[in-house]
Amino acid sequence: MRKRLNKWTALVTVGAMTMTLLSGCQKAAPTDGTGQTSKAEETTQTAAQTTTAEEKKDSADAGSTPRNETLYFNGQQWGTINDWNPLSSNSNNAMAITQQDNARVIVYETLFMYNMLDGKLYGLLGKDYSWNDGQTELTITLNPDAKWSDQTPVTAQDVAYTFDCHKKYATAQGSDYSNYIDSVVAKDDHTVIFKAKLDDKGLPVNPLKVVEYVPKIYVMQKAYLQKVEQRNGNDADKIKQDRMDDFVASGPYKSYYNDDQKVVFVRDDNYWGKALWGKLPAPKYITHVIYENNAAGDTAFKSGEVDVSQQFITNVQKLWEEDGLPISTYIDEAPYGVCATMPTAFFNVEKPGLDRKEVRKAIAMAVDYDQIIASAMSNQSPSFKDVPRSIMNPTSGEQALVNQDALKDYQFTGNDVEGAKALLDKAGIVDKDGDGIREIDGKNLNFKAECPDGWTDWNASLEIVAAAGSKIGIGIETYFPDANTFYDDMTTRKFDICMWNPPAASVANPWGRAMAFMSTDYAGLKVNWTGNYGGYINEDANNLLKKIPLETNKDTLKEYYTELSRIYLDEVPSFSLMYRPMLFHAVNESVWTGFPQLDDGDNIPPTDCTDGYGIAALYNLVNVK
Amino acid sequence: MKNQIRQIFHSPKFTVGFIIFAALLVLTIFYPLIVTNDPLEMVGQGNFFKPGTYISVSEAVNTNPYTLNINASSSRLEQNLSMEERMAMADWLNQFAGLSSKEMDVTDAGGLVSLWKDHYDSASEQKGLIAARKKYFSRLDKKITGLLEDRDVLLAEKNQETGEVSVKKTIPSTSYVNVKDVGSRRVFILGTDNFGRDVLTELVAAIKTSLKIGFIAGLIATTIGLSLGLIAGYLGGIIDDFILFITNLFTVIPSFILLILISYSIGKNARGVIMVAFIIGLTSWTWTTRSVRSQVISLRNRDHVNLSKLSGHSLFRIILTDILPYIASYVVMALILQISSGILAEAQLSMIGLGPATTTVSTLGLMMNWAMSYSAHLNGDWWAYFPVIISIALISFSLNLMNTGLDQIFNPQLRE
Amino acid sequence: MGYKKYYTNKIIWYLITLVIAVVLNFILPRLMPGDPVSAIAARAVDGMTDSTAIQAVYEDYAEKFGVNLPMSTQFLIFIKNALRGDFGVSFSQYPRTVGNIIASSVWWTVCLQLPAILLGWILGNVLGAVSAYKKGIFDKGVLPVFLFMSNVPAFGMATVLLYVFSLKLGLAPSSGGYGFDLIPSASITFFRSVLAHYQLPFWSVVLITVGGQAIGMRSMSIYELNADYVKYSRFMGIKDRKIVGYVFRNAMLPQITGLAMSIGTMIGGALVAEIIFSYPGLGTTLLAAVKGRDYPLISACTLIITIMVLLANLFVELIYGVIDPRIKAAQQD
Repeated sequence: MRKRLNKWTALVTVGAMTMTLLSGCQKAAPTDGTGQTSKAEETTQTAAQTTTAEEKKDSADAGSTPRNETLYFNGQQWGTINDWNPLSSNSNNAMAITQQDNARVIVYETLFMYNMLDGKLYGLLGKDYSWNDGQTELTITLNPDAKWSDQTPVTAQDVAYTFDCHKKYATAQGSDYSNYIDSVVAKDDHTVIFKAKLDDKGLPVNPLKVVEYVPKIYVMQKAYLQKVEQRNGNDADKIKQDRMDDFVASGPYKSYYNDDQKVVFVRDDNYWGKALWGKLPAPKYITHVIYENNAAGDTAFKSGEVDVSQQFITNVQKLWEEDGLPISTYIDEAPYGVCATMPTAFFNVEKPGLDRKEVRKAIAMAVDYDQIIASAMSNQSPSFKDVPRSIMNPTSGEQALVNQDALKDYQFTGNDVEGAKALLDKAGIVDKDGDGIREIDGKNLNFKAECPDGWTDWNASLEIVAAAGSKIGIGIETYFPDANTFYDDMTTRKFDICMWNPPAASVANPWGRAMAFMSTDYAGLKVNWTGNYGGYINEDANNLLKKIPLETNKDTLKEYYTELSRIYLDEVPSFSLMYRPMLFHAVNESVWTGFPQLDDGDNIPPTDCTDGYGIAALYNLVNVK
Repeated sequence: MKNQIRQIFHSPKFTVGFIIFAALLVLTIFYPLIVTNDPLEMVGQGNFFKPGTYISVSEAVNTNPYTLNINASSSRLEQNLSMEERMAMADWLNQFAGLSSKEMDVTDAGGLVSLWKDHYDSASEQKGLIAARKKYFSRLDKKITGLLEDRDVLLAEKNQETGEVSVKKTIPSTSYVNVKDVGSRRVFILGTDNFGRDVLTELVAAIKTSLKIGFIAGLIATTIGLSLGLIAGYLGGIIDDFILFITNLFTVIPSFILLILISYSIGKNARGVIMVAFIIGLTSWTWTTRSVRSQVISLRNRDHVNLSKLSGHSLFRIILTDILPYIASYVVMALILQISSGILAEAQLSMIGLGPATTTVSTLGLMMNWAMSYSAHLNGDWWAYFPVIISIALISFSLNLMNTGLDQIFNPQLRE
Repeated sequence: MGYKKYYTNKIIWYLITLVIAVVLNFILPRLMPGDPVSAIAARAVDGMTDSTAIQAVYEDYAEKFGVNLPMSTQFLIFIKNALRGDFGVSFSQYPRTVGNIIASSVWWTVCLQLPAILLGWILGNVLGAVSAYKKGIFDKGVLPVFLFMSNVPAFGMATVLLYVFSLKLGLAPSSGGYGFDLIPSASITFFRSVLAHYQLPFWSVVLITVGGQAIGMRSMSIYELNADYVKYSRFMGIKDRKIVGYVFRNAMLPQITGLAMSIGTMIGGALVAEIIFSYPGLGTTLLAAVKGRDYPLISACTLIITIMVLLANLFVELIYGVIDPRIKAAQQD
């Protein structure tokens, strides 16, 4: 009797306490809140019933989207959506708003789409683009078929107004690009001119950055922007934080539903792009369930609940070779995907010890990159024997801009412990006091290598770097702080060795990447978010970097890049640990098929069917019979 | 005292727990003496190698072969082409080569393969097949081609001066080698983890570290809990209320905030093993305090205590001689439980990434963390995480058994 | 009527604890090194190359979050707003409000934890009592099994359950709060889906709780069963069943403390289940907030935990005074 009374009183108390917490149940809640005590009894009866099979068969229900009309994603959206506003920097709305070099164009669209396989720009809202001589004006003609979701046409005024808003309200993109683009002018309804910012000699400051804007930044409707401005009283902060739930865009998909657990988009059957592609994209719904972590996402992918996965899956080949699942990646064998970036370890060249290029080079030579690629990346990267080192990524577009033969003497493939030791010995850096660690000026060479906690493949790579250090007599300890502390260290040069991504595949690359490795301007920043975190300064390299954006001759460019690579490999201000895809791309063909493959001749990049030119894949999908 | 100790070992529960625990301790002490490999050495290039014996292929090839007349001549195809693969081939031939099922016999591998070789074309459209399936057939075709090649394996040698390659040795399919003759071998009883480290060696080292953390944390927690509980329970009044207040404070503040705070305040050094042990100890003493306090409260009014008070003994002496011995048994049990929960707490913290941040030692929690990060539990690589779970459970279980056993000794009512 | 003195004493101390705890929960996170602005600024400046622009973005955020005001001012603002129910705006999920974040996940945590703790407690105590009273198979067989299970770490239990029941046998879904293809609605399908996804996390908590409770209850029950009054009652001829009722009521007292503590800390508690099963809830929110130095979110969560723990404790202590007069009396010398 007392037992029951106690239980009851405990329940009532807790119930009272929880009532006071609440300021609004979410949609998910009401069905849970009813009858907590009765649920306790119910669950003891319904232990482990097979209800999953029944759920999957639900079709055309108000509460679900039909499986064969929905394309499921994972690995892009973590956490809840904040807004639908391309002017804000906190949208956390990966599927709809990702303004990067391969911009995601399923909801909002850009003028052109970048294809990392051939480095070209393909028309979307824009039709053609051309520079004038001297590269001071970029003229873009718009696609006459382009329309907004409210059926009004996309005009040059929309493009111009979008740029003006970015600039006026000092959005992140606006603040950046207004240094390179002076203004965007609508010549007539269908022609836009991007006027480059000129320096005092009348030369454009950086034409590459002007072109970079084109496949990257979404075009927004002028009428809608004016509406937003009006309802926020033209206040910059309010406008940037406006949720824009009623947004107007030109893309093939619209928002359908979202909460803490998933995001769902529905196809707009009046999409203008029918004229461009000849048909509508195949999936009627696009859904991204919000998983807590990689493991949950992987489980769902393996069981066929996810069609397109952007997650790093260890030993992904085991899924089809051993488990016989209908899963495949872009390429059937190592490296399984197209690598466009190289996570790099930056040396803080101001630290005593790391200011000596022999020390830097020795560490870089001794690291066992094959081990990194085999264990940390489970072979999803070409090795440095397959694609010898330079500042270029492995794509053919960039490799064509560098002369590999000229770099042979400087390249190293790793695990060269003897060579590293010899290099250090020759430079007079030895271990005098017998503790196993070499010294310079009497001080032991001890360094900390850091990267954010939780990034497992990076954590694993740095462990291997540390192991290499101990083999050659340099003490390297790994340190995995949480992201905030790491950013602090990296951007204010409080590290010894830190790991970060240089820019990947883009219209402005490989220049952007070379800047991130060696630009003197970046080295001088007080709070450095851009690159060259270690503060490496080299006059020759810097001069080359200044010349490149203005150079259009391919052969001269090749010379410049080769020379930059040579300096980079000789001085080793940083070294790449592996190649890595910008986006992981694995597909499960249990419901949909027709995804891009290496030899299918379609030239569609494996960018999860949504980014840049990769969106062409959505039009080729068919259901599996 | 001696009698009590003898009684302790008579208790079956305690003995069992003690044996398990002692076995683990002995393992951690003696194993590294026998197997001297560095537990953190990344031996395997790649992740999660299965448990087994790995022998050097190049040496095996050069070791004395023995000829065994086992099934040598009858088809490798029969042995290597599974029924599932043959059914798949038959399906393909049916669908795309227009062959009816009467023309094909899946039990005859040779016949099926020759039909396959005649009709299979990987570049053909294969309408209706998903890409993954097409790739499957492509791989199958490569496998069949490999099987059809010359039975014997040739060992070639490159002449140092001329660069010419010539056949040094032929290895017939009847050639077998005694595994024991091959010198270079490595046994991975529990396979390797995601770094290519030997799981068993690493596990033993990790158990040792985790035990160390558990001991330190448990000792600290028990000491604090005991002292505070004694003072609060005996003295009562406002001191009691104050100590309860402190206890509640510590319960309320989540330990991981304290953990991050303390470890980062000490300096830019990485979170060490000892540091984590300290913090676990500093945040888990609350329940010991409460229990000791309630025990002391009930003891406070006993006759012998009142007698000592009347006799004018000092506070300190009363606590030490009149109260402490009566709760000694309880304290020992509390210590054991604190050790056990300390180990569990470390494992939990490491799992969420707040454990020791150093990479020079391995703990059970860290091993679990890496295994989970690399999805070992989803890939069927059970050796990377299951032994860790079992170890933690065993350590905890043995400690708890010892605790229960002791409970029975000190409280005769509980004996069976 | 010493009740009044006893109660007021308790309540005063609890209020003091509440105040100090709130202050500490406010100060401690802000003492952690690391700058919350960094992570958000990082996202914002991704891809930008112009340094002045980047600097401007960074300073903009620093100002918005008010992290450059002195600590005491920040505290007063926090208290003032908290009393109105406004916990501010989260840093890591800017510009979502903290209230919104907590409201959307707290129900999942409470609905998972509360029934699980209660059921585990009930089952455990029943098992312990039965083992003590009936001995036999329960004491020798069932109890040790549950004891071993309670020693398996929480993530171990969750992983094993996931592997066996979800991946191998396919009996239960592997992740999420509800079916991946469903949209929340007040329908039977949705409710059944929620129930199905509820199973594994629920059982992973219950199975571990049972063992711990059982062993404690068993010891307490054995004590009681051997007490004088039991023997006396037996001799007097009182029915066994009635005696057992009294016995277990007495044995239960220490267990209530445990239950209250568990309920008090449950808000932050289901972390492991949330991580392994990708189950929505407050645990992962709090962890991410701590890692991301999201001060408003941390403060709000810890405030809730504080209040709940203190309330639970206070409640137990007060009830104890009623149930067991000895405690109250002892307190008063």
